[in-house]
Amino acid sequence: MNLRRPATQCLLLLALAATGSAVAAELNVFAAASLSDALQVLAATYQKATGDTVHLNLAASSTLARQIKAGAPADLFFSADEAKMDDLARAGLIVPATRRSLLGNTLVIVVATDSALALKSAADLTGPLVRRVAIAEPATVPAGIYARDYLQKRGWWTAVLAKAVSTENVRGALAAVESGNADAGIVYKTDALISRTVRVAYEIPAADGPRISYPVALVKDARNPAGAARFLTLLTSAEGRAVFASYGFVPQP
Amino acid sequence: MSLEIARLRLPLASFALELDARLDAPVTGLFGASGAGKTSLLETVAGLRRPADGRISLDGTVLTDSAARIFRPPERRGVGFVPQDSALFTHLDVRANLCYSQRMRHPATPPGISYEHVCDVLNLGSLVARRIGSLSGGERQRVAFGRALLAAPRLLLLDEPLASLDRELKDQILPYLKLIRDEFKIPMLLVSHSADEMVALCDDVLVLERGRCVRRGPPAGLFVVSPRPHHELAKPDDPRPLVSGSD
Amino acid sequence: MSSDLWQVTWFTTWVAVTGTLVILPPGLALAWLLARRQWPGKSLVETLVALPLVIPPVATGLILLHLFGRRGLLGHWLEHTLGIEVVFTWKAVVIATAVMSFPLLVRTARVAFENVSPRVEHVARTLGAGPWRVFWTITLPLARPGVIAGAVLAFARALGEFGATVMVAGFIPGKTETLSLSIYHSVELGRDGEAAAFLAVSVALAFVAVWCSERLLRRTAA
Repeated sequence: MNLRRPATQCLLLLALAATGSAVAAELNVFAAASLSDALQVLAATYQKATGDTVHLNLAASSTLARQIKAGAPADLFFSADEAKMDDLARAGLIVPATRRSLLGNTLVIVVATDSALALKSAADLTGPLVRRVAIAEPATVPAGIYARDYLQKRGWWTAVLAKAVSTENVRGALAAVESGNADAGIVYKTDALISRTVRVAYEIPAADGPRISYPVALVKDARNPAGAARFLTLLTSAEGRAVFASYGFVPQP
Repeated sequence: MSLEIARLRLPLASFALELDARLDAPVTGLFGASGAGKTSLLETVAGLRRPADGRISLDGTVLTDSAARIFRPPERRGVGFVPQDSALFTHLDVRANLCYSQRMRHPATPPGISYEHVCDVLNLGSLVARRIGSLSGGERQRVAFGRALLAAPRLLLLDEPLASLDRELKDQILPYLKLIRDEFKIPMLLVSHSADEMVALCDDVLVLERGRCVRRGPPAGLFVVSPRPHHELAKPDDPRPLVSGSD
Repeated sequence: MSSDLWQVTWFTTWVAVTGTLVILPPGLALAWLLARRQWPGKSLVETLVALPLVIPPVATGLILLHLFGRRGLLGHWLEHTLGIEVVFTWKAVVIATAVMSFPLLVRTARVAFENVSPRVEHVARTLGAGPWRVFWTITLPLARPGVIAGAVLAFARALGEFGATVMVAGFIPGKTETLSLSIYHSVELGRDGEAAAFLAVSVALAFVAVWCSERLLRRTAA
């Protein structure tokens, strides 16, 4: 059976759905905030196909990891960086065999669509025209860590830090730019694409930028491991990849 | 002094007080049962209440005129007010209470009434440093009188000044009221439900009943002598017969 | 990013003090009006004043964010006319704590003013004092214990304010970092020792505030 063929995958999905329990179950998916829109589409697809209810807990990966460690009921964890997943793996809280690195992303600098700022590179963030830069919390949130690593490598971190407003998750940084309360922000390209009130001022080149990776895994003491496995199959299927790609995520090989 | 009250109408709980009178005696009494509207009338003259209608003027100065929309605030009427419970300022000592009105006076204006004179007449000398909480009922009343006097009012309003005192104190304080009348010559408008006080102090009495003045005149023409309240605490070796169980 | 405990404590304290001082004049004025006057729409005012007490603090913070944000009604005017930026600065922290503490001050002071006998105020008027002077020399001194209690309550609330602050001022170490924000942040970072230190200082501050107020109240009652 060639698992790469879409037909096979759909068949597999239906088969799994059929063998699942006849009673509608609940599935708790803890996922990074930047995955919100893509996952909502896929969750709807899954719910229609299986009749299960999917609860999406969307927040910064650091917050989610902390919640899982504290015993929150998660079936699946979809993080925005490997470090959070490593953390849970070390604590024995995930099923290592199910761990996959599914997606990549790109960092961009965004400004409001009506902003007059013209940024030619990240260095311009240090200039006087940019008074406030919104980034996700750089000590814990993946988007913030990626941004910090990049800026540190280029030597602009101290200057940007002085004018940084850190938000609880990457969507908060996006909102700060949208509302005009920050002049610019560093978010994922996928976030910029879903917003109608910001535009990408500068895209950090893949060669320069940090290697962004979104791993996903089943949580060890999941209450609905069968459902989690089914959902994971959907995420990794052609249909799933297509949805992620449509939102701007970079597929991982 | 001349206090003119013209076409006054003051709506109260179950009736309206209506009065049309000219008061010019040294001491005028307002007599009537509780609830007749006496206190409300005093408050209206003092400017603490507004009537629905009417005009009040004191010695030619208009204090309230509802038709002409004139209303002089209480602090500019020169009308003193001693309420039934003396209402002393408990956060100040006696001296500060007495001198309260002095703060507002322009330093160049001479005091109308001397502090020493008031303390002398009302026997307040020993009380001046005391806190209000430590004063007895009679002492409080005297301080209240003194405080009102030191503002040099053109008219002094007294609301049941002796009502909260027992008989012995009443007998003690009454002379002070007479002294105020005689020594300081400030016209007074006195509210009371006690006929004895009317007789003892007033030159002119208005009898109020359900908000109207039903009779008016000097006390001699209004009151009769009746046996005093007929119970008293028996002193040791009191010759009079005690209360018997059948009373 | 570790924060200096004493810097944070100092900042939290002076923000709470400033916030309390800022709300004292309007708070006492409103408390007096509510205690002594009637006017059409008074219940509406009473309800509005009580709102920050009952709606979730983050909701209040969101409202403030919309109001004082750069594109907000007040924020836009402040920035373009007066050159003052509010959100994500210490000013936002002061505003957030002031708004959250305001109802506590008003409600406590109102009761204190209501307990001052109007009769005493009336007598002061007849002695020649205008309404302003009566307020300063009679009403306020007699209401002092309650007013102080209200101010201390407002101060203690300001010390512990979190939800509205995090919305409108964000967490910017050294600029808008209060004790509550530090505790939350330390927990997020998994730095339990640091969180415990901030926690201990928060509790100690609150304890001192309440203790002082009790002593003050006892002294004025004497």
